[in-house]
Amino acid sequence: MTRSFPRIRTLALPLLLASATAAIAGNTLIVPGQPVAVAKSTLTVVPSREWNKLGARPGRNTESWTLDGAPLNEVTFYGGIENDRTLFREVSKKEKPLPRFAATMLLTDIPALVESSYRIALDTPLMRIAAAEPAELAGNKAIRFRYVFTLPEEEVERQGEAVATIVDGRLYMLSFEAPTIHFYDRDLPSFRALVATARLQ
Amino acid sequence: MLAVATPGELPPYAGAYQPQTKDERGLWMQSDEEERIVRDSAFVIRDAALNAYLRDVLCRAVGTARCEGVRIHIVRDAAFNANMSPNGFMRVFTGALLRIRDEAELASMLGHEFAHFELRHTLVGFKQERHAHNLAIWAGLLGGGSAIGVQLALIGSTYEFSRAQETEADMLSSRFLEVAGFDRQCAADLWQRIADETDETARGRRQRSQRYDPVGFLATHPTNLTRMRYLAAAAADQPSGRRTGQEAYRAAMKPWRALLLADQLKRNDFAGTEYLLGQLAQDGWTEELLFARGELYRLRRHPRDLVAAARFYTDAIALDPKHAESQRGLGLALLRSGEVERGRLALRRYLELVPAASDAPMLATLLS
Amino acid sequence: MKTLLAALAACLIALVHAAPAAAQEKSAVRPGFVLKPGSANILLLRPKISVGAQSTAGAFEPNADWTDQARENLGRALDAAQTKLGNRVVAAGDPVGPAARTLAEYQALFETVAGTVIEYQFFPGNRLPTKKRAGTFDWTLGPGVAALAAESGCEFALFVITEDQYGSTGRKVLQIFAALARVPISSGVHKGYAGLIDLRTGDLVWLNVDQQMGGDVRDAEGAAKRIGQLLEDFPGRPPAVAAPEPKR
Repeated sequence: MTRSFPRIRTLALPLLLASATAAIAGNTLIVPGQPVAVAKSTLTVVPSREWNKLGARPGRNTESWTLDGAPLNEVTFYGGIENDRTLFREVSKKEKPLPRFAATMLLTDIPALVESSYRIALDTPLMRIAAAEPAELAGNKAIRFRYVFTLPEEEVERQGEAVATIVDGRLYMLSFEAPTIHFYDRDLPSFRALVATARLQ
Repeated sequence: MLAVATPGELPPYAGAYQPQTKDERGLWMQSDEEERIVRDSAFVIRDAALNAYLRDVLCRAVGTARCEGVRIHIVRDAAFNANMSPNGFMRVFTGALLRIRDEAELASMLGHEFAHFELRHTLVGFKQERHAHNLAIWAGLLGGGSAIGVQLALIGSTYEFSRAQETEADMLSSRFLEVAGFDRQCAADLWQRIADETDETARGRRQRSQRYDPVGFLATHPTNLTRMRYLAAAAADQPSGRRTGQEAYRAAMKPWRALLLADQLKRNDFAGTEYLLGQLAQDGWTEELLFARGELYRLRRHPRDLVAAARFYTDAIALDPKHAESQRGLGLALLRSGEVERGRLALRRYLELVPAASDAPMLATLLS
Repeated sequence: MKTLLAALAACLIALVHAAPAAAQEKSAVRPGFVLKPGSANILLLRPKISVGAQSTAGAFEPNADWTDQARENLGRALDAAQTKLGNRVVAAGDPVGPAARTLAEYQALFETVAGTVIEYQFFPGNRLPTKKRAGTFDWTLGPGVAALAAESGCEFALFVITEDQYGSTGRKVLQIFAALARVPISSGVHKGYAGLIDLRTGDLVWLNVDQQMGGDVRDAEGAAKRIGQLLEDFPGRPPAVAAPEPKR
């Protein structure tokens, strides 16, 4: 049996993907009350509380925020993932190629894209979509879906909620993940507050 | 039940190895923690019936004297793999259970793992990997790329040793099967299919196959080709009418098929999965397999994939009109192809069959 | 060649062990938390103890014998050290059924929280701005943790985790080759976390982490040293306790 301390897996993978330490830009403070552009895109949100923006990014057009640290509460912004791109950086293109977003996808295809991407990138069979319903994001028709997953070795079950929309052939999505025990319920309202303020300029 | 053939055909089993040094002892002891881990881990499948079945096949394969000290557990993981630690803890991945076709193949895989344990291969000599023998590495299924792997190549002499060990384990396992009355051709068949699937995966990803490399990544194993040859040779002179236990295996795996197929589909491996489905359908396409194939094509979305997907779903529905998931897949495929009316019809049918579907509200928006 | 390699190996192994560690142990107390000696009942949950070897490939090879020895030794050392905690310590029984599952879940969560504190507050490199502020130590497992102590009459729970992976010969040799190729490979892992939880709120009121623990837990003396390190700076130690032992 292989047992070890969980490596701190930031669920948006920045620490997994980035090489050791020095190369990562530091984490910065997000102050409440003003619109912030996220994920190097035209997506903006207005936080109503302080957040920490993580220096390491999961992918080109992504960005992650956290309150206490990625393993405990993590919000990830996907700012316009283009046709034929993966959701986040591939750890090994050869061994574990990730599925790609297609501009022709329906909203109903997005949960499966996320599920498969997580299963492959995070090496876990325990990831499933729990529910999906219509929603709104930045004034566009969107899909909101919930999911549950567990990382091997760590054995902490997490839940997630994501809201996604496709505009001009690009995927915009916000996701929130936290341990089922205590953190998910406690911090979900903060995530939903962010989602409600999302705008696409 | 099966009477063990002529006594004395298997080497006498002295019981579990008695470790020679104090440090070794710990490797061979069963740990309390192990039971706790199995009890608490979300990744272990604890279903009583499935566990009992695997244990039963293992004991029939290697005999009760040998299987007594062994614990066997099932781990949810879509890869084809199994491993065994020096203290008799055997893990079988669900990916292996999906690919295996009958009890003879299962017995050959479990027997192979047990053979390493019996032959104490993890003990002998200075090895580059002292942890549990890993079937997938043996099969060359785990690719290269880690810096550690490259470094290990510097420690050359252990490789010769390991190759011999793999062959030894194959041969002992073959004897297990012979004594237990299983068809021994299965071992060769199983590895042939695994090798072919790996080739297909590589081809689909436009990578080179490792199969005929005289010196593969770890260079520890007889190449698949060599292995298949000697396994087939070992089986060549067996009497006819040996057991495969196909019916029994299918029956035991039936409740799990849909889940394991779903796990495989989510691996983003079109070519390997297509090959695997074709193999699983050797005795006919069930609605489950047709549905899986539909999903496979629908998710790839190449030109004409949607048309193919719709056809597979339709075939599945023809076999079982109540196969709700196929109605969902058909509906989505048709909608994406622009066949709006037929698509909506299928989705409505799905929602009738499963009104409390977890994505019902979302699908409902597609109906208006 | 062999003797040269052996000599080289010995040198490099010695070098590796002698390398000064960046500060690898730290503890913190929740602001405002005070534990008067003799004022509380502390539930000691079953420690998570893991001892084994680190195979050449870096995989963890659990060693049941070592782990058993460690559990015995650490258990005795904890008993002895209780008097230094200044409060009554109750060892939790071994739960069965659903309670066992709950305990495992909270132990996993504690480990994750402790690791998060290390990653994002304790050590430079990846600190979060909100956790950098002086006097901040705001961490919790949530109030649901009270379920672990339902009938115990305790106000606090003590979590203890230790992990030891002794670098195998193979791993040490690999380090040499890797060092030659300038690939960083560590050998051996010796970590410990100890955390005190306020059962009323789930708040983590005290945490001590050490990523390079001393003491070989496989023998009684080493285990006593290990426990001494883990419970260093425990809040509410009676003031009359002997001068703290040197760290290493």
